Amino acid sequence: MSSLIPTMRHVRGFDVARPLSIGMLIFMMLPLVFLPLLSIFIFGTSKGLANFWAALTASDAIFALKLSMVTSFWATVFNVLFGLFAAYVLSRYNFWGRNALIVTISLPTAIPTAVAGVALLMLWGPYGMLGRLLRPHGIEVMFTASAIVLANIFVTFPLAFGVIKPVFDTMSRSLEEASATIGATRWQTFWHVTLPSLRGAIVSGALLTFARAVGEFGSTIMVSGNLAGRTQTAPLYIFAKFNEGQIEAANAIAIVLALFSFLIFSVLFFARDWLDVD
Amino acid sequence: MDKKVNPVSKESPLPPAASVVGVSKFFGKTSVLENITFHVAEGEALVLLGASGSGKTTILRIIAGLEQPYTGKIILHNKDVTELPARERGVGVIFQSYALFPKMTVEKNIGYGLRIRHRPRKEVKKTVNELLELVQLQEHRKKYPSQLSGGQQQRVAIARTLAYNPEVLLFDEPFGALDAQTRGHLRREIRALLKKVNVPAIFITHDQEEALELGDRIAVINVGHIEQIGTPYQVYNNPATEYVATFLGAANILEGVIRRDHVEIGSTHIPARVDEERFREGQVVKLIFRPEDVSLSKTQALPAGHACLSSGIVEETSFIGAYERLRIRLEAPGGGASETGDTPYYLTTETPESQSAKPIIATRPKPETMAVKLRRGDRVFVGLHYFTILPKDPRTRTGAESNR
Repeated sequence: MSSLIPTMRHVRGFDVARPLSIGMLIFMMLPLVFLPLLSIFIFGTSKGLANFWAALTASDAIFALKLSMVTSFWATVFNVLFGLFAAYVLSRYNFWGRNALIVTISLPTAIPTAVAGVALLMLWGPYGMLGRLLRPHGIEVMFTASAIVLANIFVTFPLAFGVIKPVFDTMSRSLEEASATIGATRWQTFWHVTLPSLRGAIVSGALLTFARAVGEFGSTIMVSGNLAGRTQTAPLYIFAKFNEGQIEAANAIAIVLALFSFLIFSVLFFARDWLDVD
Repeated sequence: MDKKVNPVSKESPLPPAASVVGVSKFFGKTSVLENITFHVAEGEALVLLGASGSGKTTILRIIAGLEQPYTGKIILHNKDVTELPARERGVGVIFQSYALFPKMTVEKNIGYGLRIRHRPRKEVKKTVNELLELVQLQEHRKKYPSQLSGGQQQRVAIARTLAYNPEVLLFDEPFGALDAQTRGHLRREIRALLKKVNVPAIFITHDQEEALELGDRIAVINVGHIEQIGTPYQVYNNPATEYVATFLGAANILEGVIRRDHVEIGSTHIPARVDEERFREGQVVKLIFRPEDVSLSKTQALPAGHACLSSGIVEETSFIGAYERLRIRLEAPGGGASETGDTPYYLTTETPESQSAKPIIATRPKPETMAVKLRRGDRVFVGLHYFTILPKDPRTRTGAESNR
């Protein structure tokens, strides 16, 4: 036996471990990832493409997709700008409480999204700390599209920051110092020297934020009101249709969301070289 | 020493174009610079030479405006710039890492200083072309810094600072990241370039060979103060302090006592012109001499102009390429056994800290090693051709030279 194993392991430069381990990896991923994804596609299109198309073009479905895109877009814009600013401040200046701020900014990754939703309600809701004061003035934030944006911002807060900050940290200070000695103002230095080096991080941060925001469910369902055609995002639509027993309608949107995330992560993966260096 | 034989003036004879006056600096409560003052003339190259942590980089950063001094002034072309931010000083800094902008091509990097000054596009193009020619990188103009060699990157960095006619050029360890061959080559290139552009230049280095070759003058910096400033010739041949002697080249150090017309070392007398204003009779001093100022002979007949120090035993010979290095343990001067206990030999090589009874180091040029072979265990007579006398108390920084 002991003499057999070495010969099995290596037959004329052929490493048995290689196909075995690759096969095992794929086998493990089958029930965990591949089959669930596949079943959406199979079920979603099982009653023919015409039905699929009809489910996809239902007015509530289109509204839900649009709403998801628009709210995610604004959350992304805000979080990329904020992430950039926060990363700049927290990597350039050392001050008391700096680490506490970093932890706080990163916290939303670890908070259950439902908790985030409740937290927002406690602040902005009709009886919330701020909402109570705003209500007499006719300003209602909760159960509107703004609430969805707020929820998305809260949940995706650390993503862009987390991608951009390490780049700031590793960026040599001497680049900015060189720019200053050459005669550039702070703004010129930021625009011509700092920002170009951050391009990759900004794009990846934005894509991550957007992908995460489009799929957000837990917090959105708490704060949006989940009104079809008004405050129902795509994931909420899927959930609602599934509950109503309209599996195809749910599946159609699920397919779109799955393809969409597949696209985003393909970009992140294959454009890595372009994103990092020139 | 070879070139630049101008052993007279400490200060440059030309009017200063860049001055550092009375600069001191603290990091927290630790003093990192104390009362640094020097002047650099137009077209002159001054090298700040010091070990890491000596404060030399801080001086450079203060001149550039990247750090603020605690006291003192920076004057560039008769203008006090101490309060100005880096961008208004018009200094050119060549960083150790070159700090080229990675997302800009070579020509974009070079033109950056002009573009941010909103100069007309034509002018930018013309200047960039001229500078590309000056640093001979015309065919690399469209490349990115990451596609260039270290030497090429450095040339881009120099061209980038020359583009906006800087008041002063500051080089921070410019050759630190390069291999020995490129280093020597670039050093000569930069010297030639500086002669062309005629701006004051300040170099920072810890490499003594680099300092000797690059500098019109050298300032030796030790823990935040200037130990000595002078031409390479002065600093090498007439070190003002033991630190300078040991940092710039190798030095042997013997302890002796001043007498009227000689220095007494044990029972040997080395004739010396003693400056009576600096030394009094009976003062304990240090005799400092370089390995190349030692002559060795198997007989007592030493070359003319050499004072016999002692006899000694060759402990080790090593071949260093251009010359031979020998370690010699001195026997008591005068030839007897070493029982003269009151003035033992305090010998050091390289560092002043290693003050133990070490043998002295001598070097011999190739022709001499061919003519007279010396082996381990050989008994030789040790002669001295040239030496410097310094007071033993290291606090007194005035040095005295003595030359037979």
